[in-house]
Amino acid sequence: MSKFLNYRGVDFQLENEDFYATNVSLSAQASVDPVILSDGSLLSYAPSSAVVGSLSCDFYLTAALPSYLNITGTHDTPIKAKFANVEIAEVYPKNISFSVEPFQPVLISAEFDWYGDVKVENFEEQGINQVKQKQVPNYIAHSYKSYLSSRNIFNSDYSGPSGPTGPSGPSGPQGSIVSFSYRSSCDRPTFFNVDEVVPFRVGKLNKQCEVDLSANNLGKLISVNGKNASSVIYLKDFYGTSLSSFSIDGVLSNQNYNISEGQYLLTEASIRQTITETKTLI
Amino acid sequence: MSYLLSGLNIKNISEYNSSDAYNKYDVIDFQLHSQKSAYPNYTGFGETGLLFWFNNEYLNSFNLDLDNYITGWLNKETSDISSDGLYANLLQLSGDKSLRPFVYFDDNYIELFGDQFLSGSGFDCIERTTFVCFDASASPDTNPEQNIFRFDREDGWAESKYSNGPSGFLKIKGSNAQGQAKIMVDEQEFDASSPIYNALNIITLIQSSGNPSTDPSITVRQNGHQLGAYEHYYSGWTSGFLKLGDTNNPNGVKYYDIFSFSGVLNESEIKSYEKYLYESYFDSNDFYFAKEDVPAGFSKSPLSYNGNDYWTQDIDDLFKLSYGSSVNFSAKLSRSDFGDGYQSNVSRNINSLNSVFDLKYDGLTDVQAKCLIAFFETTPEAGIKSENEGFAGVNIDLFQPYKKDAELYFLDINHSTPYNDINTISIKAESLYDSNLDYKGMSIKLDEKNIRTYSDSLAGFEYDDVVYLESNFYSERGYYYYTGQKTKTSVSEENSPLGAQSHFTNEFYFKSDIDYDITNQINLVTIDYEGSTKQYLKDGINYNDLEFNLSFSSRSNKETRALLKFLDDKAGFKIFRYSLPQPYNKEIDVYCPEWDHTYNFHDNNDIQVKFVQFRAKSSKSTNFDTQIDFVSI
Repeated sequence: MSKFLNYRGVDFQLENEDFYATNVSLSAQASVDPVILSDGSLLSYAPSSAVVGSLSCDFYLTAALPSYLNITGTHDTPIKAKFANVEIAEVYPKNISFSVEPFQPVLISAEFDWYGDVKVENFEEQGINQVKQKQVPNYIAHSYKSYLSSRNIFNSDYSGPSGPTGPSGPSGPQGSIVSFSYRSSCDRPTFFNVDEVVPFRVGKLNKQCEVDLSANNLGKLISVNGKNASSVIYLKDFYGTSLSSFSIDGVLSNQNYNISEGQYLLTEASIRQTITETKTLI
Repeated sequence: MSYLLSGLNIKNISEYNSSDAYNKYDVIDFQLHSQKSAYPNYTGFGETGLLFWFNNEYLNSFNLDLDNYITGWLNKETSDISSDGLYANLLQLSGDKSLRPFVYFDDNYIELFGDQFLSGSGFDCIERTTFVCFDASASPDTNPEQNIFRFDREDGWAESKYSNGPSGFLKIKGSNAQGQAKIMVDEQEFDASSPIYNALNIITLIQSSGNPSTDPSITVRQNGHQLGAYEHYYSGWTSGFLKLGDTNNPNGVKYYDIFSFSGVLNESEIKSYEKYLYESYFDSNDFYFAKEDVPAGFSKSPLSYNGNDYWTQDIDDLFKLSYGSSVNFSAKLSRSDFGDGYQSNVSRNINSLNSVFDLKYDGLTDVQAKCLIAFFETTPEAGIKSENEGFAGVNIDLFQPYKKDAELYFLDINHSTPYNDINTISIKAESLYDSNLDYKGMSIKLDEKNIRTYSDSLAGFEYDDVVYLESNFYSERGYYYYTGQKTKTSVSEENSPLGAQSHFTNEFYFKSDIDYDITNQINLVTIDYEGSTKQYLKDGINYNDLEFNLSFSSRSNKETRALLKFLDDKAGFKIFRYSLPQPYNKEIDVYCPEWDHTYNFHDNNDIQVKFVQFRAKSSKSTNFDTQIDFVSI
């Protein structure tokens, strides 16, 4: 008789560290193309690339974001993931994102690629005791105390006094930020040795950070060069304990102004930063 | 900086220093010592005190009998040679010719076997520094002790300080393993730091008579590395009789160079002379590549026992090929057109099928890319293959289905980098030594694993399996391709390659892609008179000759092996039957002078072939099938 597995609180681990996930999904994709012969018959379906696995999850941030989830860093080696008693030895993080809105806990979304064999037939249901004993985190990131500190978003020219590392004063008239979101991402190209179907290296390229925000105004219109802007997002829990911060120093290239019947004027802006690495001479 | 380093387009490659540690993929120029080399007769250090110097550099360094056997190896340090030619030379004056070594003037060494020896007097010295470069083969004796040379009082011209002592010996002993291989001075054993058999060795003996505060001693160095010192050596070392050989090894010891100075040389001079030997006789390719992180210390140097664990000159130890690697085959044929569409193709030589590989290395870090580019740029430093050939190619494991022991010449390199620390390198490399005459195949070998020799008991067949059938008849002999159902057993005689209901074929049975493109140009002769209408005349009786390309895309590794084996076996000029696709559907004679293969991914190969129609009916009875026996007279 078939049986559907039931979960109450997903057991999700990265590098043997528990994450309080609300959702975990796993998929695998094979790239195959039909081979049709000159007599019209079908020869086979030929693989054109490896089986690419995808793992995505949403989890509450209960402490500082671990360094292996720093998407834009130089670290490109795999990490270990495990949930529902199925272990994936090598997953490669490729993006994380979160949104901060009034009165909401902050949920981190992360996506990974993985390759190779995974024993998906080993999925197991949690034991009753395991569910009962599952610890509920006391402190999770929450928008109540989290905030975004910005410069040059609301004004085209910064006019504050200079500090030791540049302008450091207030940035002039400040808009009221309604919500904001953060996303850092990269591409993970794969490289294979001949006769192998698991990559020997999964690189990192096109690393980017992006912050979207909604506010009541955005100051002056952007120029053809966009507008240099920077911001730091501080994630805190409900009680004000600092958990993690995310900084971006890029260009504000997009401004939207929306108004609809019975609503306030709402503006939206995007700041994008391309992360580069200076080569080390060898 | 050596000219080798300055000739590279890569920075930060340095001469090896055993006191430094190295990282994986580091490249070094191994020069034994950083000092400049010096010939033994170099006088730039002042009065050298060169006692003797023997090598095989010149023909006039030998006295020979009528059969080119050596009766005298003449001292290159000529200042003390007396008029009779006996003093201070190494002689073999015995009437027993078996004791005389033979000289091959193409070689740069003299090889002494068993009890063969050369000896002479006049080499007296109380203190001396002696250098010898030799290559000893392993002795069949289970506990071998091989003599390299000895000094003795016998026939000595001067009284020894230790007038009643025995001979002074340099010997080697033991197996070739680390800790087992010994270098012996008299009865004192020293652990060798490098293999002592089947490898060149430079042994330096620094013989000091001591002083009021130190005892007499002989310091032993192997390949520039000091093994230790031995005190109270035998008195023979201070005498004047030198005997080379009498090795006790029937497999022989090759003597490349031996020379000695009176007195104790300083370390700088010693290193200069050791480097002379290294540069003269060791492998000319001094570039080594770290395949692991290398700790500091001589025991990790390329010449040491552990050297192979850390350093390599084998590209397969460093890099694996990536998908996307490809190859182009093209036959070098001399074509004669006889009119009426008839033609003849003559293979120009036994290596007429030229193959050029495009070797792809993807996803390299900057450090790896630097290493691979340096490897590419240093390939011409490989040793000369023979007197009649240039330098040796690169030994490399090719991708499937090609052989694993290929020798390729790297021709050009393309390096691209899409992002920081991600590099793609493609190397174009040509194969020169694969013969059409090898029935086992040029690039796709009859390896008895993927391609097997057929026998009645051979079991286990799948579609596209390739077998080789031995037969006394040329028309039956050759490669056959299995087209039956998969079976784990052997096939019946009826279904065998020559059976009435054979499940094998030796015809071209592969089907091209559904999308094909065939262009047919009618062969016409034109007459274009001025002021008149152009006239077309048919060019002989066969004016519809086809020349077309076919694609076989995304094919499995097994089908690819079979198809490429078929083409490999046809060697670019042999004729076979091909059924044209719809709507032609006619079977014609073709040959395949050119094809390409790209290994896209596992079980995904693209093959493009060029077929040329051949009008003269192929006839098996015209094949050259005469056995020629070569006999010596």
